[in-house]
Amino acid sequence: MSATVITITSGKGGVGKTTTTANLGIALAMQGKRVVVFDGDVGLRNLDIVMGLENRIVYDVIDYVEGRCRLRQALVRDKRVTAGELYLLPTAQTRDKSAINPRQMVMVCDELRKDFDYILIDSPAGIEQGFQNALAPADRVLVVLNPEVSSVRDADRVIGLIEARGKGPAQLIVNRLAPQRVRKQEMLSVQDIVSVLSTEVIGIVPEDEAILSASNRGIPVVLNGKTPAAQAFHDIALRLLGHQVPLVEPQSVSWWQRLLGLS
Amino acid sequence: MGLFERFFNNKHNSSSPMAEAGSAVTARQRLQFVLVHDRAEISPATLALIKDDIIAVLSRRIRIDREHVTMQLTQTERETRLVVDIPLLGDADLNLPGRAVGSPRRPLTSQSS
Repeated sequence: MSATVITITSGKGGVGKTTTTANLGIALAMQGKRVVVFDGDVGLRNLDIVMGLENRIVYDVIDYVEGRCRLRQALVRDKRVTAGELYLLPTAQTRDKSAINPRQMVMVCDELRKDFDYILIDSPAGIEQGFQNALAPADRVLVVLNPEVSSVRDADRVIGLIEARGKGPAQLIVNRLAPQRVRKQEMLSVQDIVSVLSTEVIGIVPEDEAILSASNRGIPVVLNGKTPAAQAFHDIALRLLGHQVPLVEPQSVSWWQRLLGLS
Repeated sequence: MGLFERFFNNKHNSSSPMAEAGSAVTARQRLQFVLVHDRAEISPATLALIKDDIIAVLSRRIRIDREHVTMQLTQTERETRLVVDIPLLGDADLNLPGRAVGSPRRPLTSQSS
């Protein structure tokens, strides 16, 4: 049994990489998979906060790489998911990107592959070493972007770099889409984004107020309730598993728009 | 006049139906503009220099309407092209003596310029 390593990246910061990583990791575990979510953002770690596991960290991946612990000791079990298995592999908060290199990233993931089904790497923003580190072990790459000019531009650059590294084709997650604003021609549509990026979309996550309170509490939205974003993350997890889940057309009136009274 | 108008020659930009639409229209246009330049790795400044060069070369042989030369990078699926539009000046456009004997005839397709 060998895990699939999925890197979640974006180029631009603040588009929702960490939230996406946390929710997809949990959603995959809820499908009965054995999952590690791996924080690739050395020095600016946040996956632990979004997951609500910050108080449980003893060792991190840098401790493992530098020989201070075994890899198992650095893994933090998330006991909220009972279906599969979910672990967080945290990184160091007080070090910088040079604390680990691409070869070591591959080594860590190869070590984990034996025991897990999916390893999700939360890439840092940017296209420098942290991004290169996160990309090195990837079997698949998901690019998170917002329907906004600067985010799409950065995604285009990152997609090019992913292809240049032989890690393509990347797939897109359009995050924070507001369908009613798309209908009013106030926001780029998924179709606009696809037509300029010529890249497949694996998920469309609507803007959802529940995301902020989930992050405040450290309880990602997929864990409880059926908010629009939670549903979207569950759908993406199913698509990653190879299920045919139709993509919601952003300009059509869908169940969750009616639910929110936006249509 | 900004770089956008100068080099992209976006005729839609100022037309009223588009201007009245939401900002997504502007977002699309700006996005297409930056992406085509990012991907081609040709800056608007380089394009301006190329434009000057083309005008200089052509002006040695033919009369062109320098003020209305436009250059545009366009992109389809996997192909980028530089489209240059050069209006020619005919005798009617010039208050100059007739052209020299033996100068090339204007092609029929450029009569409208």
